[in-house]
Amino acid sequence: MSILEIENLTVTFHTKDKITRAVHNISLSVEEQDSIGIVGESGSGKSTLAMAILQLLPKRIARIEGEVILDGKHLFQCTDEQIRKIRWRDLAVVFQKSMNALSPVHKIGTQMSDIYRIHESKISKKKLKEKIISLLEMVNLPSRVYDLYPHELSGGMMQRVSIALSLMHNPKLLILDEATTALDVVTQGQILSEIKELEKELNLTRIMITHDMSVVASACKKVAVMYAGNILEFGYVKDVLVNPLHPYTQGLLKSIPTFKGEKKNIRGIAGALPDLSVPVQGCIFASRCEFATDICYQVKPTEELLSGNHRVACHLVGGMEHANVNHS
Amino acid sequence: MGSFIIRRSFTGILIIFVAIFLNFMLIQLAPGDPISILSGQDSPSPEMEEALREKYGLNDSVGVQFLTYLRTLAGGDLGESILSGRPVSEMIGERIGPTLMLTLTTAILALLIGTLLGIYCARRPGSKLDNLLSGLSYLFDSMPSFWLGMMFILLFASWLGIFPTSGMVDLRANHSGIAYYIDVLHHMFLPATTLTLLSIPYFFRITRSSVIQVMSEDFVTTLRATGMSEGRIFNKYVLKNSILPTITVFGITIAYMITGVAIIEIVFSWPGMGSFMLNAISRRDYPLLMGIYLVLSISVAVTMIVVDVLYAFIDPRIRYSK
Ligand SMILES: Nc1ncnc2c1ncn2[C@@H]1O[C@H](COP(=O)(O)OP(=O)(O)OP(=O)(O)O)[C@@H](O)[C@H]1O
Ligand code: SF4
Ligand SMILES: [Mg+2]
Repeated sequence: MSILEIENLTVTFHTKDKITRAVHNISLSVEEQDSIGIVGESGSGKSTLAMAILQLLPKRIARIEGEVILDGKHLFQCTDEQIRKIRWRDLAVVFQKSMNALSPVHKIGTQMSDIYRIHESKISKKKLKEKIISLLEMVNLPSRVYDLYPHELSGGMMQRVSIALSLMHNPKLLILDEATTALDVVTQGQILSEIKELEKELNLTRIMITHDMSVVASACKKVAVMYAGNILEFGYVKDVLVNPLHPYTQGLLKSIPTFKGEKKNIRGIAGALPDLSVPVQGCIFASRCEFATDICYQVKPTEELLSGNHRVACHLVGGMEHANVNHS
Repeated sequence: MGSFIIRRSFTGILIIFVAIFLNFMLIQLAPGDPISILSGQDSPSPEMEEALREKYGLNDSVGVQFLTYLRTLAGGDLGESILSGRPVSEMIGERIGPTLMLTLTTAILALLIGTLLGIYCARRPGSKLDNLLSGLSYLFDSMPSFWLGMMFILLFASWLGIFPTSGMVDLRANHSGIAYYIDVLHHMFLPATTLTLLSIPYFFRITRSSVIQVMSEDFVTTLRATGMSEGRIFNKYVLKNSILPTITVFGITIAYMITGVAIIEIVFSWPGMGSFMLNAISRRDYPLLMGIYLVLSISVAVTMIVVDVLYAFIDPRIRYSK
């Protein structure tokens, strides 16, 4: 059963001098106990997508079209009060900059208790403290963290606090926005495996935003490749990473250095993200695609559904025969 | 926390010592000779001048003069005014009350009004009221205090006649009891309003920008994501974070007012330290001047200590760092 259904979601930012289309017509369905990685380079709209689902975009400048259905509820039709009830119980998040995720002048324990009580007001003081400490222990933090202030913790510890915080009400869906990006590789690995452990215990469904393909490879079942507000390729990690069909995905994978790989295999994708305030007629990736032909500039490719729910938006895939991608 | 207060008080005392030394040196270096004023305008005899120098220890070396000063200071003795011959501590004692009353009333009023307006506008940035108050705050900021004071006297005292032009009490009326206090309030209204209006902009602007800045911080987004109500986010979390700069400004403003209130006191003939200090300067009454400076430096140092301790009380990041 799908827990989250995103239908034709478009987000535009209306600022003083321009209109930026940060998310363009995205549809995505998240099954229960899925773990979906969303990858893409900086500025491709990953956080905007997450913030749109969370309804945390600044109302004054962000226009949202489309539907987001969480567990049967149409989020965009909910009142503020209904959204507040959904938050943290059904939908929790861990943000990128955990160091600043909590107020610097309140103790960790106070803040966690305060947040817990938003949705569970009847708990006694003693029970609440026990609950918070057990949450801290669940993410391998000592109980003394309860009485500490955020600046007294290391980046990795704050990340764990954020994870403990996000899991306190057993949310149906957890969004992690670059939750491990700022950490060193060892801590990142530890936290990823802890998340996977907890996931089994708590039946979590997870969306993981990252620009790191290796995080997707090690911690996600499915992956969506995002570029300039569009999803270009979607499918099981084992399909997409082994047999990437979209030229952009291929480029992303080639830009990861391997231990054995010869130097010539390491290269990025030439060029930069297109200006999101200028509408594009054809394929959004055409300006940087080495396979681009005339049709790519004129017609936007439709999504082709291949076997195993593998979806690709590229003229080369589907109707036309795909060029040999493994050119070396 | 305890060790922080001790550490902070220690530096405070050190600062007061430095202030004492600087005061002493400044006055030593200043031009002018009190003896020539003391001994009168018309051709004083050298013998008399010499006797006066001896009496006030002005023949000793600078070092000895400083030590003498410190020693008597330790005994609570600020010396005698060269001009009136009365103990300096007694003279300051008479004058410091009105100054403190005016400064503290004004500082607290400005703090309350400025902070509340700042918070109100920060929650509605860009609104009509916000634009109006921001404009006014710059206007009052650029106004010389004596000019505003004189305009008030012209308007409310001379033309409308609803407030007295000068002084702290009506000497002819000889009020007592409640009537006396009401009379003082009546006299204080114009100088206090002038000072308050001129100090509100500091609090207004710092609170407004601080609240706006804190509202855009990541932890506010986290709290929103958890479903916490906007009211609680603001009252419990945003306020405590944004009040910190206001406390600093309060300390600086008080320090600034203690030393800057003089002009307003002179404009309104307020019987405080202001006119008193100017007199002491122009007549080169060294003991009196040093006494006044000392009291001012101690007031400023004490305010700063209180502000720092208050700050550390709210912000744990200060408490633990050296
Ligand atoms: N509040 C905002 N106002 C205006 N434009 C915005 C706002 N937030 C994001 N954008 C624009 O939306 C686009 C997508 O930004 P977004 O933060 O979603 O990218 P991202 O994929 O999360 O990047 P990163 O990997 O760096 O976090 C960018 O062009 C950005 O400039
Ligand atoms: S549609 Fe054309 S331009 Fe776009 S990715 Fe495919 S080949 Fe490249
Ligand atoms: Mg982002």
